[in-house]
Amino acid sequence: MPRQLIRQRWLRWVNRRIPRSDAQQFMQRNIFILPTGTGLIFGILLVIMLLTGINYQNSLVYLLTFLLGVVFVAAMHQTHKNLAGLKLTLVQAGEGHVGDRIPFVFRGAADDSDAIAVSLSLPENSVSLQHVLAHETTDMVLMARGERRGYLLPERVRVETRFPFGLLKAWSWIRPASAAIVYPRPIAPPEWSGGVAEDDESSDAAVTVAGHDQAELRPWRQGDLTQRVQWKRYARTGDMVIADWEGEQGSPSWLDFDAFPGVDVEVRLSYLAAQIIERSKSNEPFGLRLPSTRIEPDTGPTHTASCLRELAVYGLPEPGRDVPASKEMPS
Amino acid sequence: MSRLVSRFRRAPASPSKQPVVPGRALIWLIGAFGVLLLPQWDRLPLWLLVACALLAGWRWLSQEGRIRLPGRVVRTLIMIALVATYAININGRFTVDTAASFFVIAVALKWLETRSQRDYYVLFFILVYLATVNFLFEQGIFWTLLNLGGVLMLLIGLQVLNAPDLPHAYRLGWRRLGGMFLKSLPIVVLLFLFFPRLAPLWSVPLVSGAAKTGISDTMAPGDISNLAQSSERAFRVAFGEAIPANEDRYWRGLILDRFDGEKWSQWQREPRRAPGRVLSEGGVGTLNPGEYDVLMDPSGQRWAFSLEDSSAVSNNLIPADWGLFRFRRPADTPVRYRLALADSAPLIHEPLSEAMERRFLQLPATGNPRARSLALELKRQSTSSRELIDSLLSRFRTQPYFYTLRPPPMPDNGVDTLLFDAMRGFCAHYAGATTFVLRAAGIPARVVVGYQGGELGAGDDYLIVRQYDAHAWVEAWLPGSGWTRIDPTAAIAPSRIQSGLREAVAEEGSFLEGNWTSPQRYGDVPLVQWASLQLDKLNYQWQRWVVGYQGQSQMDLMSRLPGNIGLKDLGYLTAGLVAFVLLLIGLVAAWRQRRLLAKDPFARLLVRWRRDIERANIPVSHGQTPLQIADSVACHSPHAGALARSFAQTLNNHYYGGLNSDNQQNSRQVLLRLKKLLVSQKKALRHSGAAS
Repeated sequence: MPRQLIRQRWLRWVNRRIPRSDAQQFMQRNIFILPTGTGLIFGILLVIMLLTGINYQNSLVYLLTFLLGVVFVAAMHQTHKNLAGLKLTLVQAGEGHVGDRIPFVFRGAADDSDAIAVSLSLPENSVSLQHVLAHETTDMVLMARGERRGYLLPERVRVETRFPFGLLKAWSWIRPASAAIVYPRPIAPPEWSGGVAEDDESSDAAVTVAGHDQAELRPWRQGDLTQRVQWKRYARTGDMVIADWEGEQGSPSWLDFDAFPGVDVEVRLSYLAAQIIERSKSNEPFGLRLPSTRIEPDTGPTHTASCLRELAVYGLPEPGRDVPASKEMPS
Repeated sequence: MSRLVSRFRRAPASPSKQPVVPGRALIWLIGAFGVLLLPQWDRLPLWLLVACALLAGWRWLSQEGRIRLPGRVVRTLIMIALVATYAININGRFTVDTAASFFVIAVALKWLETRSQRDYYVLFFILVYLATVNFLFEQGIFWTLLNLGGVLMLLIGLQVLNAPDLPHAYRLGWRRLGGMFLKSLPIVVLLFLFFPRLAPLWSVPLVSGAAKTGISDTMAPGDISNLAQSSERAFRVAFGEAIPANEDRYWRGLILDRFDGEKWSQWQREPRRAPGRVLSEGGVGTLNPGEYDVLMDPSGQRWAFSLEDSSAVSNNLIPADWGLFRFRRPADTPVRYRLALADSAPLIHEPLSEAMERRFLQLPATGNPRARSLALELKRQSTSSRELIDSLLSRFRTQPYFYTLRPPPMPDNGVDTLLFDAMRGFCAHYAGATTFVLRAAGIPARVVVGYQGGELGAGDDYLIVRQYDAHAWVEAWLPGSGWTRIDPTAAIAPSRIQSGLREAVAEEGSFLEGNWTSPQRYGDVPLVQWASLQLDKLNYQWQRWVVGYQGQSQMDLMSRLPGNIGLKDLGYLTAGLVAFVLLLIGLVAAWRQRRLLAKDPFARLLVRWRRDIERANIPVSHGQTPLQIADSVACHSPHAGALARSFAQTLNNHYYGGLNSDNQQNSRQVLLRLKKLLVSQKKALRHSGAAS
């Protein structure tokens, strides 16, 4: 569709014009301005008024038409000026779980002129009008929906103003370079108690556990929980065998990626997230072991956050660096 | 299609989608509505004004949360009630007034539906057009200011709507709007002067149903004395030379030559009016001696008023019989026209044709027997028409006839009653009676209706003629000298002709007795008189130079400017002007931005830094951030790249670091460091350039 093609080209051009950066100074170069729908109707009204003036040979109607026409042009200037000189800085990209609304805190700083009634918006959400008065700063929190685990980097945040009359809109974009972190959605891992396994023998999980006998089962040791004993096997063979899906050492303080053999990576991360939250709630020390990293057992909110962050970005490249306009650069 | 729909659904929740209209914005809108209704007050029926007030009040109370807006059923009922009242009231007439009423009803009903921003804008547009419509009816300077004030309130309302919770909104708003208006004023003036005034594209007459005060084409005794209670302005006149004396100011409007025993009327119906509108503008440029400009207020009639023996100069007048003039269409707007006085050229007087003679001798077959016998007696006594007229006038002068604004009623045989019993009457009575007697005596005669006199305006440079100057007099055909003016009123009350109605009825005290609010009533208070004349002068100049600035005036002005500017050139000039203004605004914005950058020493350093790098043949594209540029410098030369990165980081820290880093000492140190970095980077770049 040519329409889409044009739109793509336009966005590419915009991206080149507005590189990713956590701070954006709005000025002539990156502000776009067009009349709103209301502005267009206003234009039509002016034409009708002019026709009235011509037909009735009424000088005062001419005068009013010109006055409003010039006001429209002046409003163009003002709307543009309203946005120009505003500097927007991403001061904090928030963190949250998939499905949460994740805050991006922007700080607007105005130069000599006010920036009144500025709105920030993403396709799914917007911040209501905020005023940044001259030489002052205002923080605006834009909530973005975390839809997937990993880095959340809005493609472009639209910054728009329609002040003073709503007849024109001046807008620009800020394309943040810093990403928010979206943790996996916590899913409580199923309790692999004997009872459950018995009832649910044909279920995938049970089969999976059974299919990994060799790797996952070990003899019972002092201190193992009775629930973990594979009673079915005991009934068959008489051996007390433990299905050890919590860690190779079986230490309760380690949360391990490999503890869920055969489970999809995303689901595993969700299980781990749920466990981390549960542990941090009960304030038990825990460590995290992922194929790429490990975090030594600890407690506290900072620890929890860094563990969740590791889960969030597991296996994902850091964005931002690969996006810059380097390929557009003439060499 | 569905994709399109879904895209719209996903469109950003833009600020205009806010559902509620802030109360402060609403009150400006309601206020503007009230102001813009004022010029319509005498055109709109009272019940409509009351309905408007109630509905707007309802809307406001609901904003306050005191009552709720009506539901759909109640809304529909209200609508039906209003429209039904309207339909009953207009009763099938369709005029501009009824159209205006309908327009206002639509606005009034909209109040109950003003919930969203969209509704607000709809009302905004309607009210702006209401201001436009107001200008069609009222063009005085104060109405203009009022209208512009209403529009200003609408704009303030929009501003409040778009930034509802702005601190210091009023102060900032007024300053912003005031500045905007002031800055844009010169451009508005230039556009006003140079925008080509086109001829009307199609003709839309402005038909008003409301009767205008003014003389009419029939005259029953008493009509003009009603008019004498009005101090409304009829027209204003400027003369090319000295203003004629009061007793010479007979403004002829129309001739009534048919008497039915009660009323005088025109024998001929007015000819069909031509399509199109009256040209409201005639006569531009300086007045030559002997010429005079009349600026007539809308009369809703076709006749123009002129002094005796005038000829038309402007082309918006159509000469009619017996030295009268007509417009193409009723004057629904102020009309300016120009006439010239003939140099007292006596006409060649052929005898009146038989048909004309019969027409000007027409009388009803019966009635007023005593007047008829008086006529026969006068005819017997005198040898010529002139002598007969003189003896009739001397009868008026010597017998106790009174000139009064309070004549007794004269229902039957009015002429007889006036001449022999009551002996009290107004100009219309005497003019009618005189014509009757002359006709009965066999002298062709007719009643002329118009105005007589006029008051000098401030500065004594023009004449104001008001409705109370309305007058009726007689013209009689005298063999040898033709139609001759005879004014019985001058015989009975010479002061009416010499100094006006006020003096003539001073004793009686009946001048404007029913008109308390008219400043003319208090004409004997010097301050009131002075103020009223100054106001009139202001309005006169406004009418002449601003309201009256149309095609011909524009061409006249342009012909005074160097270069031969035609209508087409004006179009180019206007387009050029608009382009120039837009360019100017762009330049101002660019310059502002430049100054903004220049004020910031860090930004200046950044510009220098980029320039240095570009000079070292390292490509820098427009949108790159300093760190990105530093990266590409590093590709080129590692040493310079390290310096560049350090520079970029320091700069970033300055701009985006802490917000409290802007203390002077600190920033000066940072600046110094950046400068050092700049110098060493320059060296490094030069070095690497030489090496490669």
